[in-house]
Amino acid sequence: MLMKETKDGSGNKTLEYRAEDIVDFAWTAWPGYSVFTDMWKNVKITLLLPGDRKDQVDRQLQAVKNALEYFSANVGPYPWPYVNVVDPPAQGSGAGGMEYTTMFTSESAAGMPSFVHLPEMVTIHEFGHAYFMGILESNEFEEPWLDEGVNTYWENRIVDHYYGSSSGMLDLPWLKVSDSEVTRLNYVRSGSRQASTNKPYSWQFPHGTYDMMSYSKAGVVLRTLMGIIGEETMNEIFREYYRRWAFKHPSGQDLIDVANEVNTKMNGDKFGPDLNWFFSQTLFGTGICDYRVSALINNPIRSSSDSLKQNVKKHKPSYLSDSTYNSKAELERIGDVMLPVEVLVHFSDGHEVKEKWNGQSRTKDFSYTGKFKLEWAKIDPDYRIAMDVNYINNSKTIKPDRVPERRMTDKFISFLQFFMNFISL
Amino acid sequence: MKILIAFKYSVLRTLKIWKAVLLIWFSSLLTAGMIGIPLKRALKAGFSNSTITERLAHGIRPEVFSDLGPVLKSMMSYISGGLLFAILVWFLLNVVFTGGLFHSLSKTENKFMIRNFLGDSAKKFWSFLVINIIMSLITAVVVFIIIVLPVNIITSSGTPDEGVLIKTVRILVLVFLVILPLLLLAADYARAWQAAHSKNECFRAIGFGFGNTFRTLFISWTAMVAILIVQVLFGWLVLSILPAYIPEKGGGVFLLFLLSQFLFFVKIMLKVWRYGSVTSLMEQKKAKAG
Repeated sequence: MLMKETKDGSGNKTLEYRAEDIVDFAWTAWPGYSVFTDMWKNVKITLLLPGDRKDQVDRQLQAVKNALEYFSANVGPYPWPYVNVVDPPAQGSGAGGMEYTTMFTSESAAGMPSFVHLPEMVTIHEFGHAYFMGILESNEFEEPWLDEGVNTYWENRIVDHYYGSSSGMLDLPWLKVSDSEVTRLNYVRSGSRQASTNKPYSWQFPHGTYDMMSYSKAGVVLRTLMGIIGEETMNEIFREYYRRWAFKHPSGQDLIDVANEVNTKMNGDKFGPDLNWFFSQTLFGTGICDYRVSALINNPIRSSSDSLKQNVKKHKPSYLSDSTYNSKAELERIGDVMLPVEVLVHFSDGHEVKEKWNGQSRTKDFSYTGKFKLEWAKIDPDYRIAMDVNYINNSKTIKPDRVPERRMTDKFISFLQFFMNFISL
Repeated sequence: MKILIAFKYSVLRTLKIWKAVLLIWFSSLLTAGMIGIPLKRALKAGFSNSTITERLAHGIRPEVFSDLGPVLKSMMSYISGGLLFAILVWFLLNVVFTGGLFHSLSKTENKFMIRNFLGDSAKKFWSFLVINIIMSLITAVVVFIIIVLPVNIITSSGTPDEGVLIKTVRILVLVFLVILPLLLLAADYARAWQAAHSKNECFRAIGFGFGNTFRTLFISWTAMVAILIVQVLFGWLVLSILPAYIPEKGGGVFLLFLLSQFLFFVKIMLKVWRYGSVTSLMEQKKAKAG
């Protein structure tokens, strides 16, 4: 906040600013900035961006308001009366995507189409640092996951909430890219995903793993935890973390202690006496999580009277079949990480059974006897275990849907035809 | 008036040689299918009997593909190699077909026969190949000089002003769009001239192409711009329909296939219409001079 402005008479002036409870500060000046202001409740939002980027103003201001609303509702109130957003010009793009308390830099470009949500993603992420290191003043160099990882988790949630869970990054009718899925991909497709744990200081991480370990793995781990203990418990953990540690210097263990306490308070011993089993395997472990449906079996039960019935069956429509089946879904845990999962089993008459598996054993069979065939089985049907490195093997069906493959191939062929025609004279 | 006569003449001739258009359509389907069908099999093998394809019900989701892991890597290398192969094959096929098309579109050809169409293509293959290569290279060089080079100079200057850069790119693209009809006219006149002459004289044909373009600049350029506007509008129609149509049932996919192939068939007709219009303009000028 500008406190004092003094001119010395020789064309120079001195500006004095004051800010309370901040851990960092920055200052910017450029004659090409256009300045826009807006309010969210009692918070004044000031946006500085190049004059030829006015088409990005509304979306940037809205992104800040979305972040303010979401963080205030689910973590804690934004304590300062202002927030300054700088969207640097192209020649200063190296300064984009950086956080300082009460001020941050974003990244956009003139003419950036509305279906690309990159500016919103950067704005929400950098705003989030007002909480995770601005208010909850953890040590980014010793425990980067507590800063970048936690913030990535919240960025994913906010972007999913306001811009679509499947279209947070790119939203075209025929191509959608989700922000949270991109975070997951950075982790599951990383060749070094088993190279390190989040135990050591960041400067001790193996080469080239900082981004994956600090941002993606931690973000995915927290998303997975939310999938297990639920969104409301997760929100309460962060509310309590905020209440207890705002403007103090929490460590990772402090957040885990809060998580254990809140989880026990809200869920009792449903997930064990504490959540240490989760954090030790995921955040501080090097194992991967991978579940697989290895087989679906439907064995008809034959009785001595079967041969007599055969003649009758020949004249019966198949849906009136009186066969009985011994059905079995065979599941496997391929990875080392043991997490509880739900299993959804679907039968040919349309009825479904939801099972639970604690994931401790290497294999698990679910067996059924009934008149209807087991049609498909899905481990983690709602894709809550974001750490699972392969969703494809999480399910198996006896009636695979080939329509999407055919549709995509047909489109590929026709677009290739148009492309070949386009580039030929 | 000359333009309208050329357009009318070309429409009639294009409709008359529909069998050639059908042949071109089928060849393009085979060429694209050579890449597309193995791709379908790879996808089938990759997704196996998983229900994950339900996540693709409403469009492409990159994260679903990324879980294919090593299968995706081999698919990508196959696609990139396959695309190059398809483009090369189509370039050669296009040379063959344009030879036959320009001949069939000329006044001297009264009855269309596939045998003559392919025969004319074969006779003048080398000449048409050289014309296509040279004109493609000239187009690439023009794109490089008009767009790539200036943008590269501006961006490598270190401090490009975003607004200036965007405005510059817009102006450069506009300049290129003004020049593009001239390049297409030169290529089409060259091929029409070669089709009308029995001897293979590709360089003379290119010389005629550029010469005739500038001799009849106003009429030719206006006609080509009108043709390109129709083609762009058609392209916009295709891009609005095909990506947005996402059928969820087998019948819908078959309909998509029929629709996309029909649209592509119309696209070829439009290109043949362009060739026919340029041929007619050339013949009108020749008749006037005669």
